[in-house]
Amino acid sequence: MSDHKPPYLGFGLGLRPQHYEEILSGNPEIDWFEVISENYMVPGGQPLRILDQIRERYPIVMHGVSLSIASTAPLDMDYLGALKTLAERVNPRWISDHLCWTGVHGVNLHDLLPVPYTREALDHVVDRVTRVQDFLGRRLTLENVSSYVTFGESEMNEWEFVSEVANQADCWLLFDVNNVYVSAFNHGFSTDAFLHGVPQDRIVQFHVAGHSHEESHIIDTHDHPVCEEVWDFYREAMTHFGPVSTMIERDDNIPPLAEVVAELDTARKIAREVQETARKHAQTVAAE
Amino acid sequence: MTRLKDLQERFQAGILSGDDTILADVQDSARETRSVLFGVYRNAYVARLVEVLGNDYQELHAYLGNKTFAKLATAYVAAHPSDQRNARWFGRHLPRFAKGTEPFAGHPEIAEIAALEKALDDAFDGPDAAPLTIGDLAAIPSEDWPRLVLKPHPAVIRLSFTTNAADIWSALKDETPPPAPSRLPEPQALMVWRQDYMARFRPLSAEEAMMWDEAAQGVRFGVLCEMVATFAGEDEAELRAATYLKTWIDGGMLAGCKSQQALGEAQSGAPSSGAGNKASLRPVSQ
Repeated sequence: MSDHKPPYLGFGLGLRPQHYEEILSGNPEIDWFEVISENYMVPGGQPLRILDQIRERYPIVMHGVSLSIASTAPLDMDYLGALKTLAERVNPRWISDHLCWTGVHGVNLHDLLPVPYTREALDHVVDRVTRVQDFLGRRLTLENVSSYVTFGESEMNEWEFVSEVANQADCWLLFDVNNVYVSAFNHGFSTDAFLHGVPQDRIVQFHVAGHSHEESHIIDTHDHPVCEEVWDFYREAMTHFGPVSTMIERDDNIPPLAEVVAELDTARKIAREVQETARKHAQTVAAE
Repeated sequence: MTRLKDLQERFQAGILSGDDTILADVQDSARETRSVLFGVYRNAYVARLVEVLGNDYQELHAYLGNKTFAKLATAYVAAHPSDQRNARWFGRHLPRFAKGTEPFAGHPEIAEIAALEKALDDAFDGPDAAPLTIGDLAAIPSEDWPRLVLKPHPAVIRLSFTTNAADIWSALKDETPPPAPSRLPEPQALMVWRQDYMARFRPLSAEEAMMWDEAAQGVRFGVLCEMVATFAGEDEAELRAATYLKTWIDGGMLAGCKSQQALGEAQSGAPSSGAGNKASLRPVSQ
């Protein structure tokens, strides 16, 4: 496996069928697209044809939702085979999925279920990531998920668990800015603690998304525009990690492309401001 | 791995069957009870899969209305926990479920509308195959035609309806009031296929349906012509058969053909597999 960290891609969007036509006819200024792997794990027809057309014009990243890396069910080799076949067709810059499980006993709950942060779970996940990476012949990128419950048996906090998985399994991390914000609110931890608790050299991508605030807890719905608090945390994350490929994730109530592109422009603006601040700071330090 | 395995089993049971044992494993937050917090997962499971079904069966949803569709979808979710990584296939049993589950079974158009929507989805992203073209066929010597066996495109699906479900679906798709459901005097044959990357369907005459079904079974073109003649008269039977064949080719419903010897017939040499313009005919030497 290559030791090189995947390249910085700039500012991307999740590819959604509602936007296919506009993307192909307008060539909008979007640096890259993230595709949901499962949406293209179909026998044929238009989805794969469109994907072929878009990958000719834009860099692609594959993002899965059902790897179930933390499940105690056996690895699904049929799924992994299909994932590898799709990757051979798409040639993605990286392949990501979530640090979670989605079901046991042959059931898929189609949700990103939380993991207890125990040594046992850590060893299990590290072993599975290693095996999947060996099978795919490339490093995985794992995303922190939003969660709603805390397990009494956890032996470490989330960022320690995420960091240990990344370091021990030698994989990359997708830092979901919104998920950190959501989980911090739900479990009462500090977003800064998470931000400073994960290894900078493992982060290859940001997700930024909207959520639903239910007063006592926040649900990660991806059906709203990104809120101010998440943008503020994105600014902090950009400042802390430096340039990281950024992507706006919208999965429901999908607005016209222009609206999501406008959110991407907000991310670009924040990144420019962060870079400008860093440049001035460097000049000040140099002058001293 | 025992503790993790047991925990995941309790967690899944808590979502699927409402078993509260899992609540002993999780904690209240500063603002909310563990029951409400775990409920986020319970509620999301059903809501997400009902939404998947609503997207896959949009016209059925429109036909039944929110309340009845939710009843059907919720019953389906309870009866069919997803066993698929890809939610695309979660709703594949819905036509059969509606056909066999009261009160929906008493309204057979429901299962048939569902069957049509499923077939359209399956045709839309079904397997790719190079379509047979008129040019491919023209390159075959006429004396070989009687021995031709046609190969259906793998994305073609044949349906047979007992109700006017197809008319109901079409009206709903056009956002016009659907006709009242009714049983048809004779079953209606339908062909669902993909053309120009769009899923389509059309009714077939009884004769065309018979010829397609026999062709799909591997019956040679010469025999198909004889069957057409028997079905609706010898007058212009070959012309009718050729017209159906041309319609299928124009619609991209065929993916190739091969020349097949009849039983006991002397092998007269495989169709010229060396002819470059027949590459998509998939000639088979027997």
